[in-house]
Amino acid sequence: MGGATIAEKIVSRAVGRKAKAGEVIEAVPVDKLYFNEVIGPPAVLNFQKDFEDVYTASGKKLQVFNPSRIAFMPDHTVPSCSIKVSQGISLIRDFANDQGIAMYKEGDGIEHTIASEEAFVLPGEIAVATDSHTCTQGALGALAFGIGTTEGENLLATGELYSFTVPETISFRVKGRFQRGVYAKDLVLHVLGTMGEGGASKKVAEYSGPTIDSLDMDGRFTICNLSVEMSARTAIVNPDKTTLSYVEAALARRGMAMTDDLRGMVARSDPDATYSKTVDVDAATIEPTVSLPHSPANAKPVSQVSDPISTVFIGSCANAREADLTIAAKILKGRKVSPSTNLIVIPASRRVYNWAMDQGLLKVFADAGANIESSNCGPCFGKHMGILGPGDRCLSTSNRNYKGRMGSPDAFIYLGSPAVAAATAIEGRVADPRKYLPAGEA
Amino acid sequence: MQVRGKVAKRFDDDINTDYIIPAYLLQESWDKQFFADHAFEAYDPAFAPTCRANKESIVVARNNFGCGSSREQAVYAIKYNNVVAVVAQSFPDIFFRNCLNNGLLPIQVADTSTIGLGDELVIDLDTRKLKDLTTGQEHDIVATDASIETMKRGGFLGYVKERLRQRLNAQPPRAP
Repeated sequence: MGGATIAEKIVSRAVGRKAKAGEVIEAVPVDKLYFNEVIGPPAVLNFQKDFEDVYTASGKKLQVFNPSRIAFMPDHTVPSCSIKVSQGISLIRDFANDQGIAMYKEGDGIEHTIASEEAFVLPGEIAVATDSHTCTQGALGALAFGIGTTEGENLLATGELYSFTVPETISFRVKGRFQRGVYAKDLVLHVLGTMGEGGASKKVAEYSGPTIDSLDMDGRFTICNLSVEMSARTAIVNPDKTTLSYVEAALARRGMAMTDDLRGMVARSDPDATYSKTVDVDAATIEPTVSLPHSPANAKPVSQVSDPISTVFIGSCANAREADLTIAAKILKGRKVSPSTNLIVIPASRRVYNWAMDQGLLKVFADAGANIESSNCGPCFGKHMGILGPGDRCLSTSNRNYKGRMGSPDAFIYLGSPAVAAATAIEGRVADPRKYLPAGEA
Repeated sequence: MQVRGKVAKRFDDDINTDYIIPAYLLQESWDKQFFADHAFEAYDPAFAPTCRANKESIVVARNNFGCGSSREQAVYAIKYNNVVAVVAQSFPDIFFRNCLNNGLLPIQVADTSTIGLGDELVIDLDTRKLKDLTTGQEHDIVATDASIETMKRGGFLGYVKERLRQRLNAQPPRAP
């Protein structure tokens, strides 16, 4: 009989017995649970309303299952953009303080960036959060996925997921060196283009192969992040030395060290694991890629596109970490943003923001004429910091270009890498980044 | 257990939850009905009045209905417009589970192309058949035993409360 996938191994560890893809498990305990300020407030209110009577009848105070496994991370529209948003943040802050749960501050970062940077989510864990891009944590070798409000409230009470179907896995084997000017974002947009928006429905997208092995963590986060756009249940990369040194550094920043217990959590797929499907990708054939309006799966080589662009957004949980800002700054250094274009740069966390300041990257962006905002989800959420109007055309490093996603349903959104975004900001139209890369730059 | 309704809306593939309820509204209310009032506001403004015209409406779609963002408000937006079920050829996982948790039936059948607007449908969760009374066609409902059970219970809440009760009663009371 075949071996197990990393997803099967993580579920097996959590339930204490061998779990196979396709089986339904009555209750699966999760290791980590986090909330943003969009779903946190109604989840907390519903938890208090729906479960109060059970605690009272048992003679106990309302108490979450384990405060150390939970965190609140206000990130979508912060600093608060409306009175109701402020009320929601106050509500979760009061609850977190009362329950002894970690409460991050506005501007600390986008939840999926904080969760990995703070070593809140670790390899081999099951992590859930009230956001579909929770799959980003798969880059750590964690099994991570989004949940709704009601599941969030249930998890606050018991820390368990109910009636959980162990997902099957699609293996994406990626080989080949990236061409100059090609990055993780181009690879994943290309994959979305071949799979379609429903192409990985209910499956785990597991990425492996020499191209993935040679990717830094920032690139792996991008690939896992975007995988939900082909409706994958989640995405995952088998942990390796790159993963472990990232996690060790994250732990060290918090004064912690990698322990044998943490190392024991690390899981990897067996060579003879059973996959529902295997997809071979030759990364060497991929050009810089953009996804055209109105679908993330509408991928085209950038060389075939030159539409005018009025807004460029470099940010979001997809593409606003160190490696992303570094490449954008290399292209923008000593150049100016087109007079017809507005460039918005939002680092993915306070740590990335402060690092970019120390490295002089923020000065490069500011000198080029960018608007630099404190860390949050920004215009990707379509509520503040760069709402698109009718007829506006935006090139964004984020993950969704649905009609209306960033404002008006009569706007047009293109998705691309930070390199494509920087080149586009300079030219005021969708542009190929290769001509701006310094000589010798990969 | 049977659920009946009239097909009020038909959709194509890949209807995402941003289309169902736009993000800028999500933080502006904690009242489920608010989201129903704004359902498909930018994508199909006729959705709410059309669905509300029936006492029990059913929405029919092709593949991958409810993809994208995990926002559960998308389920409230549909359900609280008198919609009892969504019939589609496939659902992504988060939306499917959000439906189960809110008693909106996510009914998967192999082919929805013959189900027309205005058709009267009967969903039988015991026989796992969807009967189109207008055309006389019968469709097999694709579902696990567990999800059929959850659909009949209207969600997990009662079950979760029982799990919590057992757990709390197994622990000594906390010091005041």
